[in-house]
Amino acid sequence: MTQDVEMKELQAPSNSITSATPSTFHHLKEIASLIETGAYAREVRRIVRAVRLTMALRRKLKSSVLGAFLNFALTPGSEVHSRLSSYLPKDDEHDMDVDTATSATQTLAKHSLPELEIYCYLLVLIFLIDQKRYNEAKACASASIARLKNLNRRTVDVLASRLYFYYSLGYELTGDLAEIRGNLLALHRIATLRHDELGQETLLNLLLRNYLHYNLYDQAEKLRSKAPRFEAHSNQQFCRYLFYLGKIRTIQLEYTDAKESLLQAARKAPVAALGFRVQCNKWAVIVRLLLGEIPERTVFMQKGMEKALRPYFELTNAVRIGDLELFRSVAEKFSNTFNSDRTHNLIVRLRHNVIRTGLRNISISYSRISLVDVAKKLRLDSANPIADAESIVAKAIRDGAIDATLDHTNGWMVSKETGDIYSTNEPQTAFDTRIAFCLNLHNEAVRALRFPPNSHKEKESAEKRRERQQQEQELAKHIAEEDDDDF
Amino acid sequence: MDPKLTEVSQFFDRFKAAFVRKDFDTCTKLLSELKVKLTEFRSLPPLFEDTPNAVHELTLARDIYEHAVVLSVKDEDQDAFERDFFQLKPYYTDARNRLPPSPQEYPILGLNLLRLLVQNRIAEFHTELELLSSIALENPCIKHAVELEQSFMEGAYNRVLSARQTVPHETYVYFMDLLAKTVRDEIAGCSEKAYDYLSISDARQMLLFTSDQELLKYSEEEHPEWEIKNGFVYFQKAKETTPCKEIPSLQLINQTLSYARELERIV
Repeated sequence: MTQDVEMKELQAPSNSITSATPSTFHHLKEIASLIETGAYAREVRRIVRAVRLTMALRRKLKSSVLGAFLNFALTPGSEVHSRLSSYLPKDDEHDMDVDTATSATQTLAKHSLPELEIYCYLLVLIFLIDQKRYNEAKACASASIARLKNLNRRTVDVLASRLYFYYSLGYELTGDLAEIRGNLLALHRIATLRHDELGQETLLNLLLRNYLHYNLYDQAEKLRSKAPRFEAHSNQQFCRYLFYLGKIRTIQLEYTDAKESLLQAARKAPVAALGFRVQCNKWAVIVRLLLGEIPERTVFMQKGMEKALRPYFELTNAVRIGDLELFRSVAEKFSNTFNSDRTHNLIVRLRHNVIRTGLRNISISYSRISLVDVAKKLRLDSANPIADAESIVAKAIRDGAIDATLDHTNGWMVSKETGDIYSTNEPQTAFDTRIAFCLNLHNEAVRALRFPPNSHKEKESAEKRRERQQQEQELAKHIAEEDDDDF
Repeated sequence: MDPKLTEVSQFFDRFKAAFVRKDFDTCTKLLSELKVKLTEFRSLPPLFEDTPNAVHELTLARDIYEHAVVLSVKDEDQDAFERDFFQLKPYYTDARNRLPPSPQEYPILGLNLLRLLVQNRIAEFHTELELLSSIALENPCIKHAVELEQSFMEGAYNRVLSARQTVPHETYVYFMDLLAKTVRDEIAGCSEKAYDYLSISDARQMLLFTSDQELLKYSEEEHPEWEIKNGFVYFQKAKETTPCKEIPSLQLINQTLSYARELERIV
């Protein structure tokens, strides 16, 4: 540690020459020392913190700063150093020369930790992606992945999981996600063998994303159902997982489960992840519509989402009214949005729900209506609308959507009197699910409570506490008196 | 040309000749031999090695599997269809960039969608649908299957049935016939819930029977609870199975006990 402090002091003057850099470079060095202590003490927590701090610096990264940091953290002339430096753009060669000259001599004594090495990879990779130098980023990522395969340290896991993420992101941005699928699967296998749960979590998500990118829902579901599951380590990864799960289930028509996953994902996602939450909400709205529910207006009025959810709002409106014509025009009007959201096929499925809602409205308002009118009201346009209407109504009756009977000879539909719902078990079950929900919520809340460590030791008796407080007060008084004496 | 490749293509020519003759037994025999021979090519999935004849071999293999799928339809063997289709699928997805598109692709994909519909595997139907591009969805063969699914879900059964007349490909007829049977069962299920009674002639028309005898036979076999008298079919019996009003005591006790337990934990 002492060495670190010395170096910082020495570094200061040389940095002040290369203007603007000192703060970022300084922060980077602090992060590096954080990683070092984390690595020595085997405290993963510190490394997590280091990664978080790095993200805050992301926008300030510059080629020159990175060059200086590489010189600081890695042995100049070593293979890693030369490789990583080669990825950095050479536009400000001069500044880097200054830095190399000053810092090279000081870092020679340091033997570089694998954690630091991986961290350097991560920094360079993030920088390259932010600079949109995707080809270099891909090369850098592949090199880092090759290095990672030979490292088996728990303290590297956190950094590795971030690297995996950017590795995949780099390929996604250039549109070659399919290429790395095999690699990701191999990495997932390695992570599983090493009990690297964070890595497994991240890689599983990346694989799911990879599959879903190509609409390979079947493969995604097979992988998901077979991959080992454990309690989530990272909230972000868990959110992603829930979102992908929701998507898969939606496609496979398991709407109830899908709704749960999607809503949970939207709720758990951090406030800053607006894009992600918008996506979750879009899918959740469609799933709820498919379930026959009508999402509340507040869903569409969430801050920052109004515009993005507008097409879905109009869609909901069409379904709510049960107007096929309106539904068709909305679907057409926003077909570009729906295509780019890849929800088009789901919206095609909704047609059926629109008819059902329309039919329910008719059945509530009329006690008896001819099938001709039903067909007219539903705006069924086909060769034989009456026969269509008849079989559609028959199916709705069978599925329990409406309570009515058909009279074939006269060609009309007779709605039954709606019975008193309080004479059935319905209210009781509804009440039960609500109670169960509240109790469950309470239990979850209790489970989520965190207590500070050693809190049980603090339970000193009231008497002792009084004693201690008295002592402290006396001590404070003494100090105050001493202070006074000094003056 | 590679001798192995020549041998396989000769074999395949014999297969095609038998296929045209409609000699399906010979076809099946030749097909299994062909499949064994295909395993010797290293350019085929899952290896995808870049051999000099790769394009030729892939095209030939795709051709063979396409014929295999059509053969299984003619044979009316759904399991074989599924097997052959899955063997064929990588040629459409993973080898897409190496081969010129096959004219048979969309008819076969549509056929598969239809099969999933007939087998009532709707989740898989939608999973397959997601894999298709918007151009593919415009193809008449695919569109046919997609529209069928929609009409089927809505309950517009007569649209399903009339679609039989507009099949885009002759192989579709087999599955359409199967679908007609499913539709009849669906209509029967819906009718008994929706109508109190139907005249025999209406019922016959609705259930697509040509004679009253067929209808009587069907109702005896599939729906013995239907009552047929005075020229009417009565569905009353089927409806009287509403559960009698009883207090679900066991369930209530369980619920109450669980509330008590939970509350105790809180207090």
